[in-house]
Amino acid sequence: MQMSETGYNPFVNAQAQFDRVAEMIGLDEATRQLLRQPAMEYHFLIPVRMDDGTTQVFQGYRVQHNDARGPAKGGIRFHPQETADTVRALAMWMTWKCAVVDIPLGGGKGGVVCDPRNLTRSEQERLCRGWVRKMARAVGPDLDVPAPDVMTNAQHMLWMLDEFETIHGGRCPGFITGKPVGMGGSLGRTEATGYGVIYTLREALKELGIKPEETCASFQGFGNVAQYAAQLYSQMGGKIVAIACWDNIDKKSYTYKCEDGLDSAQLMQITDAYGSIDKEKAQSVGCEILDGSAWLEQDVDILIPAALENQITIENVHKISPRVKIIVEGANGPTTLDADEVIQERGIFMIPDFLANAGGVTCSYFEQVQSNANYYWEKDEVLAKLDIKMTKAFHDVYDLSKKHNLYMRDAAYVIAINRVAQAVKMRGWV
Amino acid sequence: MRDSDFLDEHSIHILKERAKELNCLYQVDEILSNQRLSLAEMFEAIVAVVPSGWQYPEVCEARILFDNHSYQTPGYIKSKQVLKCPISIDETIVGSIEVVYTRPVPASSEGIFLDKERKLIQTIAERIGQTLFHRRLKQVLQEWNRPRLDFPENHLEHEWMVILDLLRRTDPNMLLYVSRKMINHLYRNGITEAGSLLNDFSPGWQDTFSRGEVNYPSARVPLGNINTISEKTFQIAARHLSDQEISLLLKRWIQEQKTYDLIKTVDRIDASLGDIVEAIKRYREIAGDSPILYSATERWLAVALIRRFLSDNLDFIQVARQYLGISHFYEIAKRLIYPEESRGKIGGKSTGLFLAQQVLKKESHNYPLLSRVKVPRTWCITTDELTEVLHYNNLEGLNEQKYRDLKEIRMDYPNIIQMLKNAKFPQNIVKSLAMVLDDLGDTPLIVRSSSLLEDQMGAAFSGKYKSLFLANRGSKKERLDALMEAILEVYASVYGPDSIRYRAERGLLDFHEEMGIMIQQVVGKKIGPYFMPLYSGVAVSNNEYRWSSRIKREDGLIRLVMGLGTRAVDRLKDDFPFLIATGQPDLRVNIVPEEIKYYSPKKVDVINLETNRFETVSIAELLRHYGHEIPFAHHILSKYSENLVESVNAFQIDFEKDDLVVNFEGLITGTAFVRLVRQILAVLQEKLGTPVDIEFASDGEDFYLLQCRPQGLGEDAVPAPLPQDIPKNKIVFTARRYITNGQVENISHVVYVDPEAYSQLQSISDLLDVGRAVGMLNVILPRRRFILMGPGRWGSRGDIKMGVQVTYADINNTAALIEIARQRSSYVPELSFGTHFFQDLVEANIRYLPLYPDDRDVLFNEKFLTRSPSILTQLLPDYKHLEQVVRVIDVTEASRGSMLHIHMNAELGEAIGYLGEAYSAQIHGENWPKPVEPMPRQEVARYDDSYWRWRMYMAERIAAQLDGERLGVKAAYVIGSTNSGTAGPGSDIDLIIHVDQDPEKCALLKQWLDGWSKALAEMNYLKTGYNSEGLLDVHFITDEDLAKKSSFAAKIGAITDPALPLKLKSKRA
Repeated sequence: MQMSETGYNPFVNAQAQFDRVAEMIGLDEATRQLLRQPAMEYHFLIPVRMDDGTTQVFQGYRVQHNDARGPAKGGIRFHPQETADTVRALAMWMTWKCAVVDIPLGGGKGGVVCDPRNLTRSEQERLCRGWVRKMARAVGPDLDVPAPDVMTNAQHMLWMLDEFETIHGGRCPGFITGKPVGMGGSLGRTEATGYGVIYTLREALKELGIKPEETCASFQGFGNVAQYAAQLYSQMGGKIVAIACWDNIDKKSYTYKCEDGLDSAQLMQITDAYGSIDKEKAQSVGCEILDGSAWLEQDVDILIPAALENQITIENVHKISPRVKIIVEGANGPTTLDADEVIQERGIFMIPDFLANAGGVTCSYFEQVQSNANYYWEKDEVLAKLDIKMTKAFHDVYDLSKKHNLYMRDAAYVIAINRVAQAVKMRGWV
Repeated sequence: MRDSDFLDEHSIHILKERAKELNCLYQVDEILSNQRLSLAEMFEAIVAVVPSGWQYPEVCEARILFDNHSYQTPGYIKSKQVLKCPISIDETIVGSIEVVYTRPVPASSEGIFLDKERKLIQTIAERIGQTLFHRRLKQVLQEWNRPRLDFPENHLEHEWMVILDLLRRTDPNMLLYVSRKMINHLYRNGITEAGSLLNDFSPGWQDTFSRGEVNYPSARVPLGNINTISEKTFQIAARHLSDQEISLLLKRWIQEQKTYDLIKTVDRIDASLGDIVEAIKRYREIAGDSPILYSATERWLAVALIRRFLSDNLDFIQVARQYLGISHFYEIAKRLIYPEESRGKIGGKSTGLFLAQQVLKKESHNYPLLSRVKVPRTWCITTDELTEVLHYNNLEGLNEQKYRDLKEIRMDYPNIIQMLKNAKFPQNIVKSLAMVLDDLGDTPLIVRSSSLLEDQMGAAFSGKYKSLFLANRGSKKERLDALMEAILEVYASVYGPDSIRYRAERGLLDFHEEMGIMIQQVVGKKIGPYFMPLYSGVAVSNNEYRWSSRIKREDGLIRLVMGLGTRAVDRLKDDFPFLIATGQPDLRVNIVPEEIKYYSPKKVDVINLETNRFETVSIAELLRHYGHEIPFAHHILSKYSENLVESVNAFQIDFEKDDLVVNFEGLITGTAFVRLVRQILAVLQEKLGTPVDIEFASDGEDFYLLQCRPQGLGEDAVPAPLPQDIPKNKIVFTARRYITNGQVENISHVVYVDPEAYSQLQSISDLLDVGRAVGMLNVILPRRRFILMGPGRWGSRGDIKMGVQVTYADINNTAALIEIARQRSSYVPELSFGTHFFQDLVEANIRYLPLYPDDRDVLFNEKFLTRSPSILTQLLPDYKHLEQVVRVIDVTEASRGSMLHIHMNAELGEAIGYLGEAYSAQIHGENWPKPVEPMPRQEVARYDDSYWRWRMYMAERIAAQLDGERLGVKAAYVIGSTNSGTAGPGSDIDLIIHVDQDPEKCALLKQWLDGWSKALAEMNYLKTGYNSEGLLDVHFITDEDLAKKSSFAAKIGAITDPALPLKLKSKRA
């Protein structure tokens, strides 16, 4: 793993963002020192016997940014060109993310420098087990809870869990999340992020005094998040005017529009497993087909970018209709910094990504809780608890933003960082 | 009268005696000729009838002594009144027969026994002797034909003597032949005393040899007494060889002689295929299944048959003769259709398959796994049947078709198809085809071309000639008609523009092409209304698409699909086959569950038994309705759930509810499939002496080999010749790591993302902008005429610093993707091998090349890449800030008229990118140095441009006939793949039609266009086999659109890839 880099450095950015908020809050120097870098980093070597009999040594790592509020939580990445600073930034981001929705977890990130495409299944299994053997004393349900991330999946989690349980003698499914349902996984995970987005939107509308059934919205993306968001939004009575999504055949995206409202259920039936809507069928059910960028320019009340990063940019931000009152960031980082400033100036109500899409991490937390109790809830129960968490999280952020006249994004950061700072203080660390 | 009375009485007595004698003889003969009697029964019966032939039968008894046994009549006693005669076989006394009178009888002047009686007993004894001889002979003959193991040792002992004896008396020529053979055999084995005998055969031979060859005719020397020579010969033989050896040699030589008929026929220059087939069949009657020829004769004969049936190619014969014996040709002859007086062969495809089958069969002794390989039942029609059909239908004119103008050929092709489809077969062929149907039954069939050019060393006609599937349902007559029509349509493809152009490009136009036909049972099972194999695919020895540095070229590659193999053979536009490196089956292309699903096959080609058509259906639909009918479905399916792809067993699949992915997990990990394919590839490559390319299919239970040809004839796997004398300043880069085969020519633009400058970018938005700029250049630059060169991992989804963040859509028009791994302070970054969109690259045939500029043995012309003027800011003024990072080099401009060419040669493990003259299709063939093998020009081979040319031509035709006034059309344009020259066989023709908004005219227009669309679809289907409802994709635009530049109107007058205006029907004056 490369320890430092010239040029763009995500960790430097993350620290800068922290410093800005820390300044805003007026955090003391020691707390700043403690929170602006990871509390603990593990770097270790994992020798793996390859299928051909040779041995290859891989670099493993785990960064635990902070665990004052609870066991560290974060993904395991298999990435061939990982840099330490990227991982540090991601671990820090996890700390804030858990704190903003007020779940009792800290932030971590880890992985192995490798390209799993160069590894056979059995080599990957040995690698996973090797990682756990090295980290066995520093991870666990009450220390640090890994999860799937880049190029790792449920299978890797199960191998790791098995190794962990073998070492510790006994079953502890709460060691890791992202397990399949029936093997310690939680129901409702598919819906969690999309529903979470709409729970926050619903609360925002309430606060702004707008009736959902009188609103209309435009979505970008029609993958997992957007599909469930659209479903719940329709159920609330909202009208979906446009959905932009990728077309796999034409290799470009289109915006599907219908002034009278799109039927999300109907659209889901003509959407393939990758969130591509069938163009012809969409046309036949009366959709107008526009360019992929048209979703942003629609005359709607709500914009929900739920596809990719960096979609609302300084180049297109001015195309946002004056009617737009709320932007809910379903995707990670859909708005660039400069565009965000414009949005803030225009007074559009912003539900920032790490609040809006925190449904996913919340559900991971629920998986952990269920695993630790070895008692698994029905889907309604999961979703009901999710609603409570998200609603509460939204109001905490909103109230703060109201009270101190803060932009929602800043309010979310302030809440998150404050919660962690408080935990650190109460523990007497600083 | 008394005298006369006496005379009469005497005469009558004599006559009676004669009658008795004759009667007796007849009876004896009858007994002897009764094959069913054992020797003992025979003798007992004979002694019983013999007394009746004598003068005093009532006191006459008889006895036969044979082999220490006595067979006698019940009243037999020893007596002095005895008549005795020895029984001998072949001059050896083996027993005797005697007749006695038990009581005294009057003696006549001739004695007690009459002269006639003496003669009678002699005759009987002789006949018995003959019968015994024949019986013994028969036994010997029978034993010859019995497998050798059955022989008890002692039986063999003197068998050879009997044979020799037989020959001595019956076939002196054969005796001479075997004696000569034996003496040669002995002499060759170092038995010196045989040398002196050689002299008897050809006196003076030693002189001749010692003096060397002389140039005058040697004197004819009369042969010595054959019997004496052979006796001497075999005396020596008996001293040096075991009885068994002599017997075996004798038998072998005798049978060699007997196959002379076949040899004579094959050797006859004017023998027709029919004669040879007959001779082979006769030979088989003699030989049965086991080969009876050895050494030189067998080899000679096999080679002669290879030449007649398979190929004249010496390299081919060299290999084939090691595996093919005469009996193998019986297999061909059994299912062969040929015109009378045929001189044809079975054609390339049949030959390849046949040889591969025999090689695998033979090698299955060493590799038992190979015994699982089957070949579907196949009939062949010889290559000259096409000529016969042309002649029979007076269509010889078609032969000159290939010399006509390509456009003419293209225009004429639909007519030719119809002409041929209406042609008739000669009656004898019709009868044979009916027989084929009886033999193959009503299972679906595939009619494949098997031409002389096809699949032979040097030129690949893959996909140029047609293969047609037949559901083979209905009445016998319907099935026969369909079969004949299909054959004729395959014949027609000889005259298709594709194949003629392909031949013209490779200088093969003057080759007398003949088209054989293979009629093969389709492998598969009935599933719902469909017939399909569980899986099929293509496998090649050399892997030209490697997704990991751990995969070696010789690890091979399988392209695997569900259903018919058509989807594995062709590149797919809208789907992906499953890829397996046979040597590294555990290194998968896709790791992440989402990607596994995304890149898994979604469609399946089947034969619909209800509609009698070849169809493509969605796998999801097929599984939902008929999943439970699919045997071994768990071999090809896995269950997909969020973040997990789970392999399943037969009881874990719920076809209605589960999200199923075709990833062949069960097949790969749970069966010997990969091992089998690997072994097939390895054995065939070793034995045929060339990397191979096979097609296969399986019904789930058995593995069928469908085709085998040398690899490297494929369109894009040809090692490019490496130009040697390129001046250093013309070289842009060279590479020596992970090289695959291929050639990318006439690159006009290079998009170079400077690795150093990229790594220095400070803000994430700049980094993202690089990806965006590339995406925009991908649209602006001429399609397939530019390459992308950049640092690290293109499309990296993790750390953006490691490579430009692009999706496949941002690069899909590039001709090649080049990743540069520059040495960093302490490490060289690992490259991606294009893994992020690996399968997209494969299907689009975008070449991938990694460069390691800091390696010692390579060149990297950084100066050209960083100092040549960049036109980025002209193209994308908004991206001026990336000027130092993204450089767009107009190669022609920068190099004063050259183009960039990349030649990659995996055989040598080298690649070069250099600046040189532009190649154009016209000068190709004259200026381009001919490589050793006919080498397809990459561009042409990859993008078979006949597809777009035809579409463009048709678009022009449509416009030319479009009555603008009547139909309210202001203008027409062509866009999309037809315009960009990238249309494939399944592409539609995209038209923009600018209309005035008169609804009536519009309706008329739509109707008019619909007619065209359907007709073109049909033509396209006939041409390519691609089926569609209509071929036109028409986008209507209005004045308003044009004004607003909305919708497709934006394409008109666009800077890049603008719509091409078409000339409408000229207005009447």
